[in-house]
Amino acid sequence: MSGRVIDVNGRKVWLLEHGNGAPLLYLHGFADVHSVKENWLPFHEKLAQHARVIAPAHPGCAQTDENKDIDVIEDVVFHYLEVLDALQLMQFDLVGGCVGGWIAAELAVRHPEKIRKLVLIGASGLFVEGALIGDVFMMAQPEYGQSYASLREMLFASADQANALEMFPDGKGDLEDEVRRYQMLRLSSRIGFKPPYFYDRPLRNRLHRISAPTLVIWGERDNFVPRSHGETYAKRIPNGSELKIIRGTGHSAHVEKPEETANLVREFLEK
Amino acid sequence: MKPVQLFCWHFMAYPYLDRDFDEKEYTGWVTVPNSLWDNNKARGLYQEYIDQLAYADELGFDGMVLNEHHQNIYGLMPSPNIIASALTQRSSHGKIVILGNLLPLHMNPMRVAEEYAMLDQMSNGRLIAGFAPGGGPETFNYDVPSANTREKFWEAADLIVRSWTENGPFAHEGRYFPLRYVNLWPKPLQQPFPPVWIPGSRSPSTMAEVAKRGYCYFLSSRSHGGETHRAQQEFAAVLEKHGDKYHPFRFGILMSTYVAETDQQAREECEEGVWYFLKNCLKGHLRREGRQLTYGPGVPYIPAAAWREYLKGYTPGRKLLGDVENWEELDASQSIIVGSPETVTRRIQNLIEKAKVGNLLIQFQLGNMPDHLARKSMKLFAEKVAPALRHDSLKQFTTEYPGVNVESSAEALH
Repeated sequence: MSGRVIDVNGRKVWLLEHGNGAPLLYLHGFADVHSVKENWLPFHEKLAQHARVIAPAHPGCAQTDENKDIDVIEDVVFHYLEVLDALQLMQFDLVGGCVGGWIAAELAVRHPEKIRKLVLIGASGLFVEGALIGDVFMMAQPEYGQSYASLREMLFASADQANALEMFPDGKGDLEDEVRRYQMLRLSSRIGFKPPYFYDRPLRNRLHRISAPTLVIWGERDNFVPRSHGETYAKRIPNGSELKIIRGTGHSAHVEKPEETANLVREFLEK
Repeated sequence: MKPVQLFCWHFMAYPYLDRDFDEKEYTGWVTVPNSLWDNNKARGLYQEYIDQLAYADELGFDGMVLNEHHQNIYGLMPSPNIIASALTQRSSHGKIVILGNLLPLHMNPMRVAEEYAMLDQMSNGRLIAGFAPGGGPETFNYDVPSANTREKFWEAADLIVRSWTENGPFAHEGRYFPLRYVNLWPKPLQQPFPPVWIPGSRSPSTMAEVAKRGYCYFLSSRSHGGETHRAQQEFAAVLEKHGDKYHPFRFGILMSTYVAETDQQAREECEEGVWYFLKNCLKGHLRREGRQLTYGPGVPYIPAAAWREYLKGYTPGRKLLGDVENWEELDASQSIIVGSPETVTRRIQNLIEKAKVGNLLIQFQLGNMPDHLARKSMKLFAEKVAPALRHDSLKQFTTEYPGVNVESSAEALH
């Protein structure tokens, strides 16, 4: 692992960097590096065999400074424009999962010229009538004071699979993992816990601006961001792929089937 | 110096749930289905509860206490100000304590400033103005993002007090509530402004903010083991640090009681209401059964560093007040003090002695307790318990806080 702190307009941003090749910016979601784990997951390792993967932690996550001025998604997007400046990234591949996918899509509609190829995995961010994004905050309150089964159920295909239990165990987990989970919920509450709930109504009608070839990946049984959101992304992005469904996975395909998901991403990026 | 101040707190529970509520329903908060509301039974309920509070005033309690909750069976007061408004016309001497309005839930703090000012005028200066940030359930009630709740809360609280004390119009250039014309009509009657009470659960930062402003700290805990005494000591130390001095009227606690002729009779009469309260009203709030929403990672309103400290001492699945399994366990929690006037007097005296607390906010009506029992208990308390508590506390406070002139303290001034 090689992590470092960069200065972004006076704020500290923590990032991991791994591999050689074309730059690939990875923006994390809930079951992910920075939001649970300190280190890369197998999915990222796999991507780093062919690219220079750069994964910053969102504001307030891991060792990145909290930014109390963040109220809406726009504030996070602007933060990332500053991160791109600091990293001097002019053009890059962009991969985002869950909330990270939302941020990725928002960046792409504003600065299509910066993105070479775009990959969205279970991305939130859209308003789709009759298909509300799940209440991850209520599910994060344990049942019987110690069970995170319903949170796992929301973020994975099933609550009792090993990779879900590893990241969100019942009772007391690893202290630092728990703190990172908390930090991610805290950031998310700023931008996603209020109407609009993890979405930005205008985003749907802005997707036409994305010029990069785009791959949209969804878990077969996503209990957090309904599949119709993936279908909308795929349909509305001009260079969008068909929606790719990873069988047997839920919201966190990159954790549940890391190899298959990474292969799909790699093939798309190399095409 | 003055004796302990005894207030009657009413939560206004929904008392008509079926016996199998706990078995059938997952929670009593936020998502508890409102199809359970029964108009045939509930007609006249508010009248019954308001009458009980007016009765407390008649019995000579020092005040009546109300608070704000939404979408639950625990407390049917989404707007305590409406009940307070009725009380201004139904009571004559007791303070009207609203503990409090949940500031982050209100679009504009000016509305709270205005309504409190109206209530202060309508009650001839009897308002005690409580401000609270709301806990976990409230963030879900109104979709209030928890991360900035505290900052929003203090900005609103300070703006309200400024609007009461500074002549307008002035502009408020705030982060959350910028306003061009702050110009309150009416002003509150009490000068310079009504007493302000702020609830907290022993967080040092809340205590510090309260101390800085000279307000009264109210411990929002329903159990009174050693923690109450520790909270008092912590708050006293924080006051000291801010160049202020603790006295009993800077501090308040919530407790519940039921008084009857004998210990045995007290338990028999209140037991149904007590279990209704513990198992139904606290489900989703102070029970591990189901999913409690009050505190946890899903309502991340404290900074991450404070959360890390909390996790270090946290035992997953530990029992909360509503998880007590028998009467003895309940008794040991010192949450609901039940017994004859002698027993109740002794136990509350003990609590006052240790916790040096000058404001007792006491809940009499519990769960589905019928009107006549709640009233009987209140009357016995007023006649057989209150005089001894007042007498002994006055002696204690005078000895322990010599030279403290309550009238000239920050609390009395405000």
